[in-house]
Amino acid sequence: MDSWKTVATKYTPEIYFDANTNILGVKGESYPENITEFSSPLFSWLENYLESLGEKTFTINIELIYFNSSSSKMLLDLFDLLEEEVNDNDKNIVVNWIFDIENDAAQEYGEEFQEDLEILPFNLVEKAE
Amino acid sequence: MLDSLLDFKKECDKQGILISFYGFISQELLVEVGHNLKSRMELERIDSTKITKIFAMFVEQTQNIVRYSAEKVSDVNGSLSNGIIIIGYKDEHYFVLCGNKIKKNSIEPLTKKLSILHSMDKNELKSYYKEQRKKGQLTTDGAGLGFIELARKSTKPIDFNFQAIDEQSSFFSLKTYI
Repeated sequence: MDSWKTVATKYTPEIYFDANTNILGVKGESYPENITEFSSPLFSWLENYLESLGEKTFTINIELIYFNSSSSKMLLDLFDLLEEEVNDNDKNIVVNWIFDIENDAAQEYGEEFQEDLEILPFNLVEKAE
Repeated sequence: MLDSLLDFKKECDKQGILISFYGFISQELLVEVGHNLKSRMELERIDSTKITKIFAMFVEQTQNIVRYSAEKVSDVNGSLSNGIIIIGYKDEHYFVLCGNKIKKNSIEPLTKKLSILHSMDKNELKSYYKEQRKKGQLTTDGAGLGFIELARKSTKPIDFNFQAIDEQSSFFSLKTYI
């Protein structure tokens, strides 16, 4: 798998994948009118990638300042997919939910996702100054 | 109209209106108005948590108009939806008020969706949000979570009403508070 990057727009986050470290990063804001149009390519890529992952550890760093309610559903679908891969296929996956200590909403949303997950490692990470 | 514009401004000031838009709304317009709103509140040194909340309510309510207004024009490049969106500050509360035309047969499902939320406290709203998020399907129209998101953020229960326009349609207004 090659590294790639899509730049942020005014209402969608930057997404990048580093093939050397197996890190996927999502950074910025997410409130497109049509979230499926935005997320479909990412989910297609993920399915292919996870098949080729093997024993390696896949890390996802999510740092979202703001996202709308349909993006919240998309994130839950993403975490459900990852949880299935951990549960059914013994994949090594780690999610880091990165938030600014000043951003209460981002922290709360992270905690709520964490409460709903059973075995997917999901860390709440306070952003370093 | 020329003579009444000053009255319009005075009425806006009296109602505490900070931003109001009437017309055909697009995602691009939402982004621009949203940035303007944020910059203005940052200049007034409003607490950042509050700014994020008001911005979030503005986005959900505007996207509701974009998706569900019964007055739409569209072509291959996308669609524009007619509605009104207002952000204001009155009686020590910020408010986000939106309105758009709907078909009469939408009144019943909308009333049902919004009335359920009225009877819930914050913890119940949280559980309901999680339950609906799990159950729901992501479609091009979102995930049906907008109203619950608004009810969770609003510091008072959501106000809404319907006013008849003609035989087939009504005007739907919705107001949230921070």
